[in-house]
Amino acid sequence: MSAFWIILTGSLVAASCGLLGCFLILRRMAMIGDAISHAVLPGIVIAYIFTHSLDSLPMILGATSVGLLATFLIELVHQKGKVQADAAIGLIFTFLFSCGVILISSWTKHIDLDADCVLHGEIAMVPFELWITESGLNLGPIAVWKLSILFLIVVGLIYVGYRPLRLTTFDPQYAAAIGVSTGFWHYLLMGAVSMTTVLSFESVGAILVVAFLVAPPAIAYLLTERLDHMLLISLLAGLISAVGGYALAAALEGAIAGAMTAVLGIEFIFAYCYYVYLRK
Amino acid sequence: MKNKFLEIKSPIKAMRGLASISVFLVLLSLLACQQEKQVKTDNGPLDVVATTGMIKDIAKVVGGDRIKLESLMGPGVDPHLYKATQGDLGKLTKADVILYNGLHLEGKLVEIFEKLAEQGRAVYAVTEHIDKSRLLASEDVENKDAYPSDPHIWFDISLWMEAVETVRVALIKHDEAGRETYNKNAGAYIQELAALHEKVKADIASIPEGQRVLVTSHDAFRYFGNAYGIEVRGLQGISTVAEFGLKDVSDLVSFIAQRKLRSVFVESSVSDKSLRAVVEGCKARNHNVSIGGTLYSDAMGEEGTPEGTYIGMIKHNVNKIVAGLK
Repeated sequence: MSAFWIILTGSLVAASCGLLGCFLILRRMAMIGDAISHAVLPGIVIAYIFTHSLDSLPMILGATSVGLLATFLIELVHQKGKVQADAAIGLIFTFLFSCGVILISSWTKHIDLDADCVLHGEIAMVPFELWITESGLNLGPIAVWKLSILFLIVVGLIYVGYRPLRLTTFDPQYAAAIGVSTGFWHYLLMGAVSMTTVLSFESVGAILVVAFLVAPPAIAYLLTERLDHMLLISLLAGLISAVGGYALAAALEGAIAGAMTAVLGIEFIFAYCYYVYLRK
Repeated sequence: MKNKFLEIKSPIKAMRGLASISVFLVLLSLLACQQEKQVKTDNGPLDVVATTGMIKDIAKVVGGDRIKLESLMGPGVDPHLYKATQGDLGKLTKADVILYNGLHLEGKLVEIFEKLAEQGRAVYAVTEHIDKSRLLASEDVENKDAYPSDPHIWFDISLWMEAVETVRVALIKHDEAGRETYNKNAGAYIQELAALHEKVKADIASIPEGQRVLVTSHDAFRYFGNAYGIEVRGLQGISTVAEFGLKDVSDLVSFIAQRKLRSVFVESSVSDKSLRAVVEGCKARNHNVSIGGTLYSDAMGEEGTPEGTYIGMIKHNVNKIVAGLK
C-alpha cells in the first residue's frame, strides 16, 4: 500500500503546485516557492519562542503566517516600490530569512531549529502517518487528506477565477480598464501559493515543492500557447514525474523526492528538444 | 503569443480534462500498488531497525545473532540532515522493532515514530525511560520542563546505560525466547560501560583544572561536560542555520587566550573552517592554540574501524581531548 500512498501524495502536490505554477511562471514569479521555503524561518522561531515546543502545529501556523506576510510584502514592494518582481522576491525572502537567523542566534541557545528539522516532511514517511479514528478505522495517511483538501481549494480557485486570473496575468491594464481588480486576484493567488507551499513542505519537503511549482509549468510553456492546455499539460507532467519518480526510486533504492525531481528534469529535456527541433 | 493566450476557452472544458486526469492518476497509482508485494517475515530472527549508528551498536551488542539488524543513518550521516530513501521505507515497513533516539534528534521523524507507537507498532525511543531531571534543557532557564531537551545524551555514558536497558526490555518483549541471551549481553555491556564511565571521569580529572575546557565547533558536548566535569564551549549553537557571528569568534578568541588553552577540537560532521578562524585569531593575539584532532559527535566512524562502535568512539574522543589538553 505504501507505494500507492506515496504516488498519490506526490501527484496531489504535483497537481496543486503545477496549476498554481502556471500562473506564477507567466507572472515571472516562479521562484516564489523557493523564496517562501526560506522566508518561513522567522515564523518557526517565533512559534518556538512562544510555545517552547517543536510540535508541527505551531510550526505550521508560524510558517503559514510568515509565508502570507512574505507574499504580501513582495507584492507591496513590487507594486508600490517599482522594483522588478524577481528583485522584490529576492529582497523580501533574504530579509525575512535573516530576521530568522538573528532571532535564532539571539533568542535560542541549545536547540536545533531550522525549517529542515521542524517543518519539512519527507515523502517516504507519508504512509506511516495514518489517520485512525477513535473506533479504529484506518482512513489512510493524514497527508493525503490534507493535500486533497488543498488540491480542491486550488482547483476551486482556478475554476471560479479562471477569467480574472488570466486577464490579470496577461493584460493587467485591460483587466483594470474593465473593472477587474488586479490586486485582489493577485493576493488571492499568492495566498493560495503560500498556503500550498507551506502545507506541502510539511508533507513532502521543500525541494519537491519548488520543483513542482516551476518544472511542470515550464515544460507546458514549451509545448503550448494556450493557458488551458498549459494547465492540463502541467498536470500531466507532474503526474508522470510522481509515478516515474517513484519507479526510479524503487529501482535505485534512492531518495524518492530526488527521483521525482530528476524525472521532471528529464521531461523538460524532452520538451526542450521538441520545442527547438520539431516545433518550427 | 499574448493574443493566443487570451482566446476565450471555456474553463468548464479545462475542468473536465482535469477530472479525467484525476481518474487517470488514481488508476495509475492502483496499478503501481498492485505490483508491490507484501513482505512480512514472521518467522526467523527479529527484524530490528535503529535510526542512528549509536543505537544500532547497542542493538548489535545486546541482540547478537538473535536479531537481524539494520540502521537508517549510515556512518557519518548527521541525523539532522538525514533524508529517507525508498529502501528505508521498506526497512521500516517490515521491521518488528524500531529503535530511535527521540528528543527531536531525528527531527520530524520523531513525531511519526510517536504516532506509530500509538498505533501499536513496536517503536521505542531509547531515551524514553531517562528521568527528565537528568536531561539538559535547550535553554538556560529556571523552568526547564517547559522546553525541549538536548538530544545528544550519548556523551554521558551513565545515561547511555539507560538506553541499553530500554533496548534490552524492548527486545525481550518481542522475543521472549531470547530473554537469557539479551539479559546476559546487556548485563556484560552495562558493566563494560560503567567501567568506561569511571575511566573517562578519571582521564578527564587528570587534565590540570584550568585546562579542563573543551572548545568545539558546535554545541553537542553539553552532556559530556556535565557528566565529566569539563567546561564546554561551542562556537556555534546546535542549529546550523545561524552561522557563528564575528562576536562569537572574538569572544571565543579572548576566552582561549585568557585561559591559555592549548587545543580546540573539530567535529567529524561539521566543517573545520570556523574553528580555523579562531586559531588564526588566537595567533594574532600571540597565543598559540592548535587543533587537537577530530571528535565524533553526531555520528560514529566507519563500520569496521574502532571508531565505528560506541565504546571506540568515546575512547577516541577522550584520548584526543586528554592528549590535546594535558
